[in-house]
Amino acid sequence: MTTVAAHQEGKALSPPNPASRQINTMGWGLIAPAMLVLLTMSIGPAIYLLLFSLHSEDLLGSSTTFVGLQNYWQVLANPEVWWDASATVLYVALSVSIEFALGLMFALLLNRKMLESNLLAALFILPLGVAPVVSALVFRELLNPVYGWVDYYLQSLGLMGDPVDWLSDPFTAWVSIIALDVWQWTPFVALILLAGLQGIPKEPAEAALVDGAGPVRVFWHVTLPLLRPFIAIALVLRSIEAFKTFANIYVLTSGGPGTSTTVITLDMYRIALQDFNVGAASALGICFLMALSVFMSALLRLLGRNTDILEN
Amino acid sequence: MSDKTEKRLISRRSILKSGVATVGLLSASAIIGRPYIARADVAKPDKLTMLYATVEADSDAVKTLLPQFKSDNGIDIVMDTMPYNALQQKVFAELASKSSYYDIVIVDAPWMPAIIDNIAPITDMMLDSTLTSSDFEVTDFIPKAFFDTAVYQPGAAAVHWPNEGDVDPKGIKGAGFEVYGLPIQANALTMSYRKDLFEDAANKSAFQAKYNKPLAVPDTWDDFVDVAKFFTNPGKRIWGTTLMAGAGDYSTDDFKTMLATFGGDGHMINDKFEPVFAGPEGVAALTFYADLINKHKVTPPGTTSATWDTVATEFETGLAAMSMNYHTETLNDSVKGSMDYAMVPKKVQYGPHFGAMMLSVNGFSKNKEWAYRAIQWLTGKAAQSAMLPLQLHPTRRSAYALADKDPIYAQKFGSFYTVLGKSLENAVGRPRLKNYSDVDRTIWVAVNNAARGAAKPEEALKDAAAKVKVQLAQAGYTK
Repeated sequence: MTTVAAHQEGKALSPPNPASRQINTMGWGLIAPAMLVLLTMSIGPAIYLLLFSLHSEDLLGSSTTFVGLQNYWQVLANPEVWWDASATVLYVALSVSIEFALGLMFALLLNRKMLESNLLAALFILPLGVAPVVSALVFRELLNPVYGWVDYYLQSLGLMGDPVDWLSDPFTAWVSIIALDVWQWTPFVALILLAGLQGIPKEPAEAALVDGAGPVRVFWHVTLPLLRPFIAIALVLRSIEAFKTFANIYVLTSGGPGTSTTVITLDMYRIALQDFNVGAASALGICFLMALSVFMSALLRLLGRNTDILEN
Repeated sequence: MSDKTEKRLISRRSILKSGVATVGLLSASAIIGRPYIARADVAKPDKLTMLYATVEADSDAVKTLLPQFKSDNGIDIVMDTMPYNALQQKVFAELASKSSYYDIVIVDAPWMPAIIDNIAPITDMMLDSTLTSSDFEVTDFIPKAFFDTAVYQPGAAAVHWPNEGDVDPKGIKGAGFEVYGLPIQANALTMSYRKDLFEDAANKSAFQAKYNKPLAVPDTWDDFVDVAKFFTNPGKRIWGTTLMAGAGDYSTDDFKTMLATFGGDGHMINDKFEPVFAGPEGVAALTFYADLINKHKVTPPGTTSATWDTVATEFETGLAAMSMNYHTETLNDSVKGSMDYAMVPKKVQYGPHFGAMMLSVNGFSKNKEWAYRAIQWLTGKAAQSAMLPLQLHPTRRSAYALADKDPIYAQKFGSFYTVLGKSLENAVGRPRLKNYSDVDRTIWVAVNNAARGAAKPEEALKDAAAKVKVQLAQAGYTK
């Protein structure tokens, strides 16, 4: 702060001195590698995507023509895309909410000083190590109503009469997809929250207990507010990943039954890599990117401003 | 300006235009799709590179022949293989980047409308006796497999070869069509059945008593329903048949088989770009298909989310008495039964769905002539027959004749090759559309909706036909 103020005062009274110019050059030099990575890995491709979205691209021919916003019109005028976008939002909201609730519960359990905690935490990470395609294939077999384990054990335990064809009905297909996502990603949320819980100072909670607050009030008024930066990280990262979910749904339901579990990423895959309509797929990608940015900004606003870790 | 001067100027302009056009045409033809000009002094490469399908076109069988090719021709064929889902993207990416890396690419028929301008036509090379071996016998190819997979009209890739009869490159060329590859593997829908159950004396007498006709492998859909109902016994965990009614290409393929066997046009979209799958035959076919699942209940639970793999597992583990698929199947040891194959039944005619893959010469290859020689060798009579034991699905009649004659094949694969050969002679391919994946999806959504009772067959097909019309217009086929 002192350096900045002094620099500003110096600027008003006299020409910039070589030292401050050196600082500027040094500053730019220090951020240059990060800027370069950002430009080549994010901004460059985004501009390229934008250019694609304004053209009718014939990848296998020689004709590429500028079509303005026609690709956007084609994509946004399609009611199926809006339906799939709604399904995507609902899927993200449900799966991330369940993962957060379960993740918080597991984090609180693992945060207790127990001998088993370390072992349980290690086992807990296992689903994260399984590739989404593999876990979806395994789930698909488990859910088979004729030879899958799920129906078999539910029937054996008397919890089910006739076998349920989980993937043939829109509701149960969504239940299956969300269950897979929850199984795979709850440990991720739990680990972030566990790290947060272990970083929270104990004094405020101890003081509240001394003042007569019960465990629920301590959790609600002390632990949870202090955990908010970690909650924000977990929710933002999970939401971004959930919006991008592809392999799980592609393998498990292929967007069916009918088109009931089709999400935006499946649309993008189909338009880009099956129809090879790169212009329309790019337009959809840009719309998706913008919607995601708006959604994430809103999510961060909702979670409050004092998410120090994010802001720093 | 006098008329004479004007005429001269026009004449000069015309000459200039012609010159530019000629140079343009020559440049364009130098890049792709050029008429083949025989060159005796084409340098022989040390190796050729080939992009191939891992399982769907039996890469293991092809691999066994590559040393023989090297021994005969002194050229290595370096083969890269990819699973089908990734293969299409790889082939398209190679061609889009105008890469000459692969001399030979495997091409599935539905891709051709999109990539036809990037694949070298080989008709002229086929007609060149210095390049085509005298024992190549192009007439030995199963005509349907050859025409549907490899013959296209440049500039109008959606049009099917209109004639029947044996393959004749000269006639193809004369009619304004070109050959774009040589079919190497042909998959058609065949029916597998539990031979032990059909031959069981108790089953025979029970069936005779119940239906007043002998128990036999069904040849018509009417008989199929009776047999499927007879064998269905959920309490004993066995069902009459499997179907692939899940959300995917497989259910479109199931439906188009039904449509063709019920007397409709199994291509679903005709060459005038009219959806022809929602007529009375289509409605009857889809109604019958949905009835097998919902009314007769002769399929295992999970049929409306079943895929190729699911139904194979169901049949191989003894859960179904009959099944339909595109490859040989093997019963698990625990089943303790025997099996064989038959044609997919008919209503008024046979019409199993089929799809063949061909070996094509990359339009950007620097070794086109040698690539052509290689694909000719790999799809020749000797090679196709040699790959039979490794379960290649040949595209030549001679290979099927060999499988019929040699008891080893019957012992190992039952009637599979006989049935496959006959199925290919009666099979129906797909429509030729750049946006087939879109159209395909629209149809399988309709089939899946009808199969799980979410829509009536007639409504589902009517809705799908309306959507397909829009998709065809968006792709520029219609206004």
